[in-house]
Formats: sequence, structure tokens, C-alpha cells
Amino acid sequence: MEDKASTSPASFINQAVVPGDVVLDLTNFSNQTIKLGGGLYQDSDAISVMKAGKLKFSKPNKYWVESSQKRYVPCVEDHVLGIVVDSRSDNFLVDIKGPALAFLPVLAFEGGTRRNIPRFEAGTLLYVRVVKANVGMNPELSCMDASGKAAEFGPLKDGYMFESSTGLSRMLLSSPTCSILEALGKKVSFEIAVGLNGRVWVNAESPSNIILVSNAIMRSESLSRVQQQIMVDKLFQRIQGS
Amino acid sequence: METLLFLVDGRTPNQLRPLTCSRNVLNRIHGSASWSQGDTKVVAAIYGPKSGTKKGENLEKACIEVIWKPKTGQSGKPEKEYEMILRRTLQSICLLNIHPNTTTSVIVRVVNDDDALLPCAINASCAALVDVGIPLNHLAVAICCGVVESGFVILDPSKIEEQKMKAFVHLVFPNSVLSVLPEESLHVGDEAKEHGLISSVTHGRMSVDDYLHCLERGRAASAKLSAFLRKNLQSQVPSNT
Repeated sequence: MEDKASTSPASFINQAVVPGDVVLDLTNFSNQTIKLGGGLYQDSDAISVMKAGKLKFSKPNKYWVESSQKRYVPCVEDHVLGIVVDSRSDNFLVDIKGPALAFLPVLAFEGGTRRNIPRFEAGTLLYVRVVKANVGMNPELSCMDASGKAAEFGPLKDGYMFESSTGLSRMLLSSPTCSILEALGKKVSFEIAVGLNGRVWVNAESPSNIILVSNAIMRSESLSRVQQQIMVDKLFQRIQGS
Repeated sequence: METLLFLVDGRTPNQLRPLTCSRNVLNRIHGSASWSQGDTKVVAAIYGPKSGTKKGENLEKACIEVIWKPKTGQSGKPEKEYEMILRRTLQSICLLNIHPNTTTSVIVRVVNDDDALLPCAINASCAALVDVGIPLNHLAVAICCGVVESGFVILDPSKIEEQKMKAFVHLVFPNSVLSVLPEESLHVGDEAKEHGLISSVTHGRMSVDDYLHCLERGRAASAKLSAFLRKNLQSQVPSNT
């Protein structure tokens, strides 16, 4: 199999790529800035792919590879679900399914002072925001949004947390609302928190509703919009029937 | 006059055994893949990257550790050799500076051994690395070539055929890539980049000419393996609706 000679970059956009493929030639972009997202790296004068996935492009100059994994690569401003592993004097150690444990400063809460430090046991589930994510350093988290308000961050009580892939989390958070959440929301009322690191938390009044919603979401990853709708309809028919 | 050589299962010497590859086969593992060539089947499971490196390792780079579990019995010297070869091969295809000070554990479990074990394991580990999402600079495809007494080269021998050979060699090549660059820039010196060699392990005695023949055949076969791997990876990319 020979290399394709001088194919234009447009032909790789929205195509599946594997590690090693060279997708951009920087000599064609002499005076422009290009922003590279996950899955791409610069190899002298060309941009190559590091992860298998679909190459995406967003105007004016952003390129990235979209792929779905079980592990998470921390990025700034992501909202994730972390589990407290340990607490130190000045920060909590939180596991966010990344290469390193993340630090959550004890003062990173709304109205947080040295006198009212929250006490989290090991195993507490937190909805947090990633503030710093640098290569080689432990990521830093916060339970406040950029303006200092609590804004739904913090510990999640009751409910059920399950692990998913990062691709499923992104699909659940896509706008307009993804079809599975819409379909489920019409039939049963529930509360959901989705972490971009592949964790989803669901809460509803009765345990059977929680299980129903969680199982439906877990099964919806490989289905299209229409198939998801059909699956939810069939599910509720079976429940009402029995 | 050349006599046609047919292998035990009716293949011609240039034909590979049937290949299957599936990713994400194990539930709780961060990334896994199973690869089979004919009757040889290997499952690779990968944990990582986890924080911390072993003592004495470079802190600026990611560390890869390989554990080889044979089908039966304890791990001994041959397993340690496989672990070392696999580790060096995987280290050369991973981009180690993306996640410094981390350890990735690759656990290779032999499900069935019908020869060509090392190439099967390398292919499985490479597919599993893609499943975990560890940054790679290219994929690795591995092939086994055997040399018979008459100097004939056979690809991907099974155990029965291996006994008739005087020597065999395991070769690992980088995969064929698609590129926007013109062909010449992908060449290093006179050769195309994809004609490079990542690893080569020989067993038995063969002449230099035989070895070069094996390399040629191996390269041609690696193109087919590359295409198979690419198709397999593409079919599991989730499609947006």
C-alpha cells in the first residue's frame, strides 16, 4: 500500500485516522495560527495523529481527534466527577480517572475559610471543575465556578454513580439534548450529573427508577438517535406490561 | 524447475493465516485487545497510565512494564525474554514524553499457542494501546517468517511447519500511513519510512541472503496487516448521528 500523494487536508476531516497518519502540512499555513486539540502533535513541519479516532475541524483554525476511551486526559474547564481518596492539610486528593491524582484545595469552596473546611471521607463523590491541567503535574480542581459561586459543584448525595467511556459522557452533554435523556425525561423524573471523565451519577425517587435510567444510558452508547428513542419506548412498554 | 509448496493447511507460502482482532474485550481493564492468527490467540490488557515510575527509571518519560503470562505453567526465562522484547518494541512506538512520570502496565496472556506467539502478542499489545488511548507515533505490525532447508521463505508458519524449518525470524514494522505530505518527504534517505524495521528476532541459522528475503516478504505482508488493522480500528470508531 503506497502513501497517497498530496491529498488535501480536507479529505481527512471527519475521516477515521490511526496513529502515524500525517494530516496537516504546515508549509501550507505559513502565517496562520492553528490550534491543536487532543490526539494531534507537531512533528517538525507536519501535524501527525497520536490517537485513533475521527479527525474534526472547527472554523477558523481548530483541529482535533475525537475518540472515546475509558481513561481521561485532564483539560482545563472540564466538569468532572471525582472520588476523594485522601485528605491532606491544605488539599484533598481526588481520583478523576486520569494519569495522576488531582488536588482540590480545602479553600476552593464558596465562602471557604480556614474555620469552615468541609470534611470529606474517602469515597465521597464530588462534582468539580478542573482549574489547572499541566503536563507532568497533578491537576488542580475547584468547587467554585470562575466567579466564585458554588454553582452546583460539591458533594453528590444519594443516587448511583456508574462508569462510562468519555465518548458517552460527551454525547450525554451534547446540545441539543441528546435523544436518550429527552426520551427518559418524558417518562420518569430523575436527576443526572455527567462528568467528562467518564463517570455519570443518577438520582431518582425510587431505586427501580434509578436502575432503569442507568441501564438505559449504559446501553445507548452505540445506538443512533432513532434507535435510542425506540429502545426507551420498548423499555417502558415492557415495564407497564408486567 | 520450481516446485509449488503448499503448507499443511492448504495455504501458499505467501498467505497469512486468518486474522481476527477485537478491542475492549475485558470489562474492568482500562484497555484490552485480543488478536489471533490461525490458532494462536493472545489477549493483551493494559492498565494506565498510573502515576509513579519504578526506581531508576527516567522521570521525564513514561515507563512501560510488561508482564507475560504463559498458557500453562510458571513464568520462566523464555517469558522474561518475551517481556524484554515486547517492552523495547512498545517503548519505541509510544510517545513517552506526553505523560512523564507514569507507568503503563501491559499484561499479555497466551490463550492458545500455535507458533508465531511473539508477533501475535505484539499485534495484540499495539491494538490494546490504541484502545487505552496512549499516544503513539505509529502502529506496529509484526510477522513471523520461516526459512526451510531449500532456502524457501514461508510467512506465518504454524507449529507443525515450524518443526520443518531451519530458522525463523520475527519482524516488526511500522504501519503504512496516510499522509498529506508528498511521498518524498516521508523518505529517510532512499527508503520509504514505512520500510523501516522496529524489531527483529531470529532463531536458528540462516544465510544473509535468506534474511534479506525474509525482510522483503515480511515488508510486503506488513502492508496487508496494516490495512487489516486500519480497517479494524476504523470500524470501531463511534459514528455520530
